[in-house]
Amino acid sequence: MGGIYALLGVGFSLTWGVMRVINIAHAGFGVLAAYIAYSLLEKTGLDPLLSLLISLPSFFFGGMILHRGLIRPITKARETIVASMVLTFGLAIVVENVMLWIWKADPRVLKPSYSGTAVFIGEVGLPIAQLVGFGLAAVGILLLYLFLNHTHTGKAVQATWQEKEGAALMGINLQKVSEIAFGLAIAAAGMGGVAMAMMYTFDPPVHNFWLIYMFLVVIVGGVGSILGTALAGLILGVITGLCMAFIPYQWINVLTFGLLIVVLLVRPQGLFKTGV
Amino acid sequence: MKRKLSWLILIFAFSLFFLYGGPAGAQQKPIVIGGSLPLTGVWAETAKVIQRGYEFWVEETNAKGGLLGRPVKLVIYDDEGKPDSAVKLAEKAITVDKVDLLLGGYPGTAARPVMPVAEKYKMVYVSMGGHMASFTQGYTYSFGAPPLMGEWWFLGAFQWLETFPADQRPKRAAVYIMNNPVGTALLSSIDEYTKKLGIQVIINEKYNLPLPSAEPLVMKAKQMNCDLFISGGVFPDGVMTVKAAKALKYNPKAYFQGVGSAIPAWTKELGEDGNAIVSGTSYHEKLNNPSNKMLIKRVKEKLNMDSVDTYFGFSVAWLQTLFAGVEGTKGLDQTKIRDWLRKNKVETVAGTFTFDAKGLPAPFTYTTQVVDGKIELIYPADIRSHKGIYPKPAWK
Repeated sequence: MGGIYALLGVGFSLTWGVMRVINIAHAGFGVLAAYIAYSLLEKTGLDPLLSLLISLPSFFFGGMILHRGLIRPITKARETIVASMVLTFGLAIVVENVMLWIWKADPRVLKPSYSGTAVFIGEVGLPIAQLVGFGLAAVGILLLYLFLNHTHTGKAVQATWQEKEGAALMGINLQKVSEIAFGLAIAAAGMGGVAMAMMYTFDPPVHNFWLIYMFLVVIVGGVGSILGTALAGLILGVITGLCMAFIPYQWINVLTFGLLIVVLLVRPQGLFKTGV
Repeated sequence: MKRKLSWLILIFAFSLFFLYGGPAGAQQKPIVIGGSLPLTGVWAETAKVIQRGYEFWVEETNAKGGLLGRPVKLVIYDDEGKPDSAVKLAEKAITVDKVDLLLGGYPGTAARPVMPVAEKYKMVYVSMGGHMASFTQGYTYSFGAPPLMGEWWFLGAFQWLETFPADQRPKRAAVYIMNNPVGTALLSSIDEYTKKLGIQVIINEKYNLPLPSAEPLVMKAKQMNCDLFISGGVFPDGVMTVKAAKALKYNPKAYFQGVGSAIPAWTKELGEDGNAIVSGTSYHEKLNNPSNKMLIKRVKEKLNMDSVDTYFGFSVAWLQTLFAGVEGTKGLDQTKIRDWLRKNKVETVAGTFTFDAKGLPAPFTYTTQVVDGKIELIYPADIRSHKGIYPKPAWK
C-alpha cells in the first residue's frame, strides 16, 4: 500500500519540486488510468498491466500538452504555488466530472485473472494482485529514479530544479524540461492509479482520498526527493501493517497523521531531503 | 337575431365544457410537493432513481384523478448532497414556494437536518431519515416509511440464523465495523442477537474509512477460527474484504455485509465472488405484498422495466405514506395529517406500517442474500424469493 502511494507521490513531488506546481488533479489522472484499465479489461480482456502500454504514452504526451496549454502560463505568476493549486483544483473537478459522465458514479473493481489468489508463506498469505501492484510501484519508482539520475534529460530536470537560472545559462531549455517533467509526472500518476486499483475499489471522487496520502508521503519524504517519497511510502505501509496487527484499527489514521505532524515539527524539509 | 342566438349557444356550450367537460382536475389548483435531492454530485445516480420513483408515482396518482381531486405537481431542487443546501432548499420550498407538502430527501446526511426544519414549520416529512439518532430528537412531524435504519440492519439476518438448529449455527464471530454513525448504528442488533444466539464475539473492532488494507482483518478472523464474519461497512471496504477473504481462503459459515452488497454494483463488479453474502433492506422489488405487485406490474406496463431499484421503491413508499395522510384527513392540514398517520395503518410497497411516537414502524428488516448474482429475499419465510444458502460455500 505504501509503495503504491509512493508511486503516486513521486510524480506529485516532481512537479512540486521542479515547477513549484502543486497539482491537485494529480490523483485524478491516476483514477482516470484506473478507469481506462478497467474498460480495457472489461471490453477486451486486456490485463491492466498491458493497458499501461496504451495509457502511459497517452498520459505522458497528454501531460506535456496540458503543461503547454495550462501550466506554463501560471508558472509566470508571482505566487506560482497558490495559482497552481487554484488552477489544478479546477482541473481536478473537470477530470472528476468527465469520469462521472463517462463511467457514472458507480464504484468499480479491477479484477484481473490473478485477483483473489495469494501466495502463502506459512500461515501468512500475500495476495498476488497486491504483489503485482507493489511490483508495479517499485518498477515505476526505479525507472523514474534511473531517468533522473542516468539520462541527460533527467539531469537537466534536476539542474532546473536546483538552480533555474544556472540551468538556463548552461543552455537547458527550461520550458522543454518542465514539459517533460510534467508529462512524466502524469504518466507516473497513471501507473500509480492502476497499481491502486489492484488493491482498492475506485469511483470518480476517490482521488480526493488518494491526494491526502500523497501529500503525506511527499511531505514526510521531502518535496522533490524521489527516494525520500519512496521510503516515506514504505514507512507508511509498514506503520499501517504493524498498527493493524497490534492496536485497534481506528487509531491508524491518528498515528499516521500524528507522524506527519512530528516530521513537520522536527524536520520540516522532510526526512530524506538530501537530493533526488 | 339568429346571429345573436348562435353566439349565445356558443358561449353556453363553452361554459358547459369548462364547467363539466374539461379534463379531470385540470381547472383545479395543483397540490405542490417540494423539496430537494442531490441531482448532481456523488449521490446523483441514486437521487435520480428516487426522482424517477417520485415522478412515476405522481403520474400514477394524477392519472387516477389526483389527490383530493387536484393534480399533483413536484418541485425538486438540487442540493448536491450538501446538508446545508438541503436545509436552505427546504426552507425555500416552505416559505417562498409555499408548497403544500414537503418531499423526502436523500441521503440520510441530508435528510437528517431537514427533520428539524419540518418540525419548525410543522410540515409532515416522510423520508429515510438519518438512522435512529435522528428519530430520537423529539421531532413529531417526521416519519420513516420505511427508514434505512442501521440499528435494525442485521435483525433479519440474525433471525434467519436463528431458524437453523443451534448446533449448526456459527459459534464465533468477527465483527468489523466502519467507525462512523452508520457503522456504529449496526452494533446494537449485533450485540443483542449474538448474546441471544449464544455466539461468542471474538473480534469486535472499528476501522476508519477508507480502509487501508483488509488482509490483516481477514487474517485475524481466520486465525481466531471465526465462523461468522460481519463486515459492517460500505461498498469499497466490503469489496476489499471479500477479495481478501477469497485470496486468503477464509471461509466462514456465514458472511454478513453492511450496505455494500445490496446495490447492483456489488454483483456487477464482484461476479460470483459476491454470492452468498447476507445483508438487509427495508424494500425489495420481490416483496409479494399487493401494493408492490401492482407497482411492478405498472412499471412493466408503463416504463417497460422488468425490475425496479431499491430506492425507486423507497420513494414510492414515502409518497404513498404522505398521500395516505392527505386522503385520510381529506385535507392538507399538516398537524391533522401527522395525527392521522400516528393512528392508522398505511399500506406501501415496502409493507404495511403503523407508526410510533418517534414516527417509526416496528423494527424490521428483510434479509437479502446474493444468489447467482441476484439479490434475493431469504427471510422472513412468508416473503422470501429464494431459500437462503447456509453454510456459505467455499470461494471458487
